[in-house]
Amino acid sequence: MAIVEMKKVSLLGHRQERERIVDLLHRTGTVELVDVAESDIWPELEPLLELEQTSEAVARIESRLGEVRYCLDFFQRYFPVRKNFVQQLIGNKIEVTGDQFSGAADQFSEVSAVYTTCRDAEERLTKIRNEENRCRNMLEELRPWVGLSLPLEQIRSSVFVEMGLGAVPLLSYPAFKEALAARTADLYLEEVSADKDQIYLFYIFLAADLELVQPLFKEALVSPVTFPDTEGAAAEASLALEKKFAELVAQRGAIIAQVEEMLARRPQLMTLYDHLDNERAKNEAAANMARTQSSFVMEGWVPAPMLESLGKVLQDGTTTAVLVSRDPGPREETPILLHNRAPIGAYEVVTRLYSVPRRDEYDPTPFMAPFFFLFFGICLADVGYGITLSLLAFLLSRKIRLAGMGKQLVNLFFLGGIGSAVVGLLQGGYFGDLLDLPPLWFNPLDDPIRMLIICFILGLVHIYFGMGIQAYRSIKAGRALDALFDQGSWFVLINGLIMMALPFPALSAVARWAAVIGAASLVLTQGRRQKGLLRKIISGVGSLYNITSILGNVLSYSRLLALGLSSAVIASVINVLAMLMAGSIPGFLVMIPILVVGHFFNLMINVLGAYVHTSRLHYVEFFGLFFEGGGKAFRPFGLKTKFVDVVE
Amino acid sequence: MGGIELALLGAALAVGLAGSGSAIGAGIAGQSAAGVVSEDPDKFGQTLLLQALPMTQGIYGLLTGLLIMIEIGIFAGETVALTPEQGRYMLMASLPIALVGFSSAIYQGVASAAAIGMIAKRPEEMGKAITFPAMVETFAVFAVLVSLLLLLRM
Repeated sequence: MAIVEMKKVSLLGHRQERERIVDLLHRTGTVELVDVAESDIWPELEPLLELEQTSEAVARIESRLGEVRYCLDFFQRYFPVRKNFVQQLIGNKIEVTGDQFSGAADQFSEVSAVYTTCRDAEERLTKIRNEENRCRNMLEELRPWVGLSLPLEQIRSSVFVEMGLGAVPLLSYPAFKEALAARTADLYLEEVSADKDQIYLFYIFLAADLELVQPLFKEALVSPVTFPDTEGAAAEASLALEKKFAELVAQRGAIIAQVEEMLARRPQLMTLYDHLDNERAKNEAAANMARTQSSFVMEGWVPAPMLESLGKVLQDGTTTAVLVSRDPGPREETPILLHNRAPIGAYEVVTRLYSVPRRDEYDPTPFMAPFFFLFFGICLADVGYGITLSLLAFLLSRKIRLAGMGKQLVNLFFLGGIGSAVVGLLQGGYFGDLLDLPPLWFNPLDDPIRMLIICFILGLVHIYFGMGIQAYRSIKAGRALDALFDQGSWFVLINGLIMMALPFPALSAVARWAAVIGAASLVLTQGRRQKGLLRKIISGVGSLYNITSILGNVLSYSRLLALGLSSAVIASVINVLAMLMAGSIPGFLVMIPILVVGHFFNLMINVLGAYVHTSRLHYVEFFGLFFEGGGKAFRPFGLKTKFVDVVE
Repeated sequence: MGGIELALLGAALAVGLAGSGSAIGAGIAGQSAAGVVSEDPDKFGQTLLLQALPMTQGIYGLLTGLLIMIEIGIFAGETVALTPEQGRYMLMASLPIALVGFSSAIYQGVASAAAIGMIAKRPEEMGKAITFPAMVETFAVFAVLVSLLLLLRM
């Protein structure tokens, strides 16, 4: 059976051994914990027990976790770890040994020092950044006045003289200048610099003229400029600021170099993070328990095959733990764990990406696997591509430690490569027509209609198979009539229609009767769940309309041919283009990259297409016949890591 | 127009229309992808995969166009003599993928963009996210199938 049977367990133990027991459960990773308060036995137990509270330990671990996370974030900000394309899809964890992992907590004091240093560094960096900004702004303000040789602190009005700096809009300047000259008795005006909007002015005039002149300033929109805290000429002040800026940059570099030195600690921090996170999970597990003065009880789900080993671990490792197991009740929703042997196990990823089955359904994986293998092969249909894909998948699984769905996906591509090599042999595809070997069977490019019919037949077999599974489920559940009405009628009707279309006159009478019986049985039975005669008839007749959707589903399998053809034709086009270059040595040098890049590109596009469309044929055409999904996946309490892989 | 010109018009429509559709579709999906990646750079791989989905129509169009070009001997260096009837036949044969490629790629791009939004919230649901745009592609697959069958039967 592909869905693993689950047992509900209750675990009793002495409180003194609680930590040890939780640790054992965490290490074996075979129990999914359930909140005791939501268990069906809780109402009986409630008067006797009280719920366990999560301890202060959780708060303590959380605060340490916060420090480690801060350090990691800080490093990531200044020295980001970038993931390459493959790592983004399947992750990049560092490997640590079990000892390193469990010993990580002992190094917390060292890590605490890293935290202090990071905190300090960040504070100083923030200060430096503010200072840099101030410098930059000041330099910007000084820039227009660099040409002015007068020290800035000397630009002040006195009793007799008005003296100052101002920026005048270019548009109003000519009028302003004229009016100013007209209204003052004595005037010194220096155009220090100009940009595309404004002219920067240094002016001196007699204080006596101030009242006359002031309206002019307003009218011309002159903005006054002052440098209250700057000494010396603008050019000198700028130089000093630039020097200070360079110093700040150097200081920042020094701090970052200091941080970089600590970067060697990053793996240690990552290990500690994962370690602490798991410790937190262990402590939080207590939230699921109930206790008396000196004992505690917890509940959970365990896959039946692992029950015995779990019992043994608890017996050997503790003195008080008692494990009681029972079968789940008929209405209880159990978590679902799929288990299929290799090579079928690889196809679990397709099921899991759709949905985990409910408890009362079959795991569709073993039914799907052979079809997936074959359909993927037909979509790629090339010996060269198949072998390349299998090799790539093999190398990937060798080079990177994979687990769970990522591993299954790589295995699926490995098998898919084999499938397409097999189909390629039958159809004579070797990197398109690069090797001109005869097909073992026939080449769809020569006879596409024959291949199209084969695809339709495969589709029909696929659909019948799905209907068969549903019929079997109904019979097993004691509803044999449902199977006969819902699947049997369609089977008879479709076969009748197909036989009618075939050019065999001898069959036509049988075919017609089959079609009529099938259709009549649909009309009579498909409304059986409705109330009232009229409704029964309408649903019955209406169900015949489904013939179009079945026809559409079968036609949908023509994509197998289309994808196979497109991979073969693009491959041969690449060969044609490459051969255009052949004939000379430089041509040969161009030809090889065209072949390699072209075929690699074609392979990638077609692997994506083959995977997507084969999945779709299963999700839409096949699963719809017998499988709904919607189960809850089994999530055992155990080691979960974000950054590291613990290897023994 | 002579046979060759008609055939080339067919090739141009297949490559041009299906390619334009894919460009629009991939552009729509790319905008969404860039938005998601700006929040979470680690989703680059997944979103790129989804952005690639509406690009197949362009490839189907290219495939049809190249097949026509091979049939009329462009690559052999010497074009074969084509009657106007044969040219018209090739032009007609290119229409399914040209028309359906154009529209389906755009709408597949829209579906891909939505799927990319889905990945932003639930990265574990990649299987379902790929399936929705793949539904749209069905019609492009049918169209290229008909175009190919017509051309291969010549």
